[in-house]
Amino acid sequence: MSLFPEIIRIMAYVVGVLAFVGLNAAFLVWLERKVAGHIQRRIGPKEVGPFGVLQPVADGIKLISKQLVVPAQADSLLFRLSPVLTMTLAVTVFVVLPFGPSLVARDINIGLLLIFAFLSINVLALFIGGWGSNNKYAVVSAIRAVSQNVAYEVPMLIIVITMVMITSSMNLNVIVSQQGNLLQWHIFPWNGSILSPLAFLIFFVCTLAETNRAPFDLGEAESELVAGFHTEYSGMGFGLFFLGEYASVFVGCALASILFLGGWQCPLGIMPGVHWMLIKTYLLVFVVIWVRWTFPRTTLYGLLNLSWKVLVPFSLVILLVTAAQLKMPWPF
Amino acid sequence: MSGYFKEIYDGGKSLLVGMGITFRYMVQPVVTLQYPHETVPMTPRFRGHIDLACDQAGNHKCIVCGTCQRNCPSGCISLKGEKPEGAKKKLLIAYQLDFTKCSLCGTCVESCPTDALIFSKNYNLAGLSGQEFILDLLKRQEERSK
Amino acid sequence: MMPLFTVEGLAGLLFFVFVLLIILGALAATHAADLIRAVSGLALCMVGVAGIYYFLGSPFLSLMQILIYAGAICIAIVFAVMLAEPQGVRKFRRRHPIAGAGGLVASALLTWGLASLALKTAWPQAPEQINPGALEDVGRAMVTTFLVSFELISLVLMIVIVGALVLARQGRSRAGPEKSSNS
Repeated sequence: MSLFPEIIRIMAYVVGVLAFVGLNAAFLVWLERKVAGHIQRRIGPKEVGPFGVLQPVADGIKLISKQLVVPAQADSLLFRLSPVLTMTLAVTVFVVLPFGPSLVARDINIGLLLIFAFLSINVLALFIGGWGSNNKYAVVSAIRAVSQNVAYEVPMLIIVITMVMITSSMNLNVIVSQQGNLLQWHIFPWNGSILSPLAFLIFFVCTLAETNRAPFDLGEAESELVAGFHTEYSGMGFGLFFLGEYASVFVGCALASILFLGGWQCPLGIMPGVHWMLIKTYLLVFVVIWVRWTFPRTTLYGLLNLSWKVLVPFSLVILLVTAAQLKMPWPF
Repeated sequence: MSGYFKEIYDGGKSLLVGMGITFRYMVQPVVTLQYPHETVPMTPRFRGHIDLACDQAGNHKCIVCGTCQRNCPSGCISLKGEKPEGAKKKLLIAYQLDFTKCSLCGTCVESCPTDALIFSKNYNLAGLSGQEFILDLLKRQEERSK
Repeated sequence: MMPLFTVEGLAGLLFFVFVLLIILGALAATHAADLIRAVSGLALCMVGVAGIYYFLGSPFLSLMQILIYAGAICIAIVFAVMLAEPQGVRKFRRRHPIAGAGGLVASALLTWGLASLALKTAWPQAPEQINPGALEDVGRAMVTTFLVSFELISLVLMIVIVGALVLARQGRSRAGPEKSSNS
């Protein structure tokens, strides 16, 4: 291996991923505001650019031009570290996401593990941000975010283990290539596990909770905690949290579409490619937004009860049933 | 145990119903008015500041009797008229409304013997100084009658 | 000595970056006055260790290190800090006079023991290429060759969990009668 092609390749990946994360966040901000508007029978942004598509750009310019204020009593190291860490982790995860048959930055064997490894530190980033702000609201929000993430990581990982048992691979590209057309999608009960539709549902709910999206947005509950862990952040500090949040929403939905809906494969088996991946993922993102603007926020106890009393037992049952089914396929 | 499953089932069903409702709302047409670009016609009983009414010929009907000025509790109306040489009636030469003091009571409109005053439908009132709200109603009437 | 500006050379540089991360993280973990900073230092140290694993050609182990130690363990510590320390940062008390010397001796013994062990052991060569079936090999090893140790570890964890539950229940049942006797 010579050095310079390798370095250029790495730089191209980094620039590509960063550009995608930025564009994705801009698009999702716009989509979220448009969908929210139409659900409330308004129009949403419409002034900047055609259909308001340039609104996120205007917002971004405003955020960049603002000063990043560090509160006097805050732990300035942790305070500055947190948004950068959130963003870095979200970007790192994009490295293994397969957007197309060969459109993946690093096609490593254990991509699924990498994604969950880095997403599991994400909550630590939120926590040090909330703690470092030295603000009561931010600390309460950080505590909520941690307990919520711990609770929802368990059923999510159990479901992922189930899917790994079915696919017998942790390579995301291999998982996708097993699902050539609509009938081979892992969401259907005749492929792998009879309980896989339920598994998809649990995975999706956990994604909502892991990315702190409504109705599980207790971490940044605006009406009670001002803005949660990013109360004290101004300018691009807040902007990075925002980018990171939308990046992890995308990653969660992309994972759901890779594990259950066949990733970049076409439902009809013709012309697979990056467009199918984007269509599926953004449809799921649309559902996430739709859920956000339909349901009010749950309580903290309701949220923890849902995880420990409903999702964990159900996902364990799915795991056991799937294991039994894989070992003795006859009755099914 | 059956209560546990029933709760999950009922809860899940109600969530789906809720999502159905929001989806229907989303595909229905928008009901809001895009205000600076579109406006609603003002309701007939809207009380803006007063204006001089126009008759068919485009003239005002003010006879400079001064009733409105005397009846105004806030003292915000001032009008001036003069009798030209050889004319029988007084002619209005200035009608000024200090809208910063007006309380929109409508006594002037009620007391006018010739119904020369109306409420305008003007609600887009914003300005940088108080001077902009001292309105010259005669000028406004002349502009409208053109 | 390898030339620096090649892929291998830069990888070697990265190795030293990871070592630096481990040392800095460990220093932060032991010396920070603020518990949350100490936990962050611990997480940094764990990420450095994961980097070393990756450098040695074992991405599975490296990612598990991140998932379990940097993710789960540090979050668990944060959880404990949240539950145990509601009034914020508390200053440490003065150390015992011989604590420093004792620590020095203990760490010297530990370092000597680990170093001599590491030098005596015949280490297998790190694989040149990452084995495509590494994950399957790990799984197979865990439920065949190392089955007993695997099961023993899970037994230990089981005992720990049951013990924690017993302690938690005890606290609760003691509080119960007191309340009832008061009323």
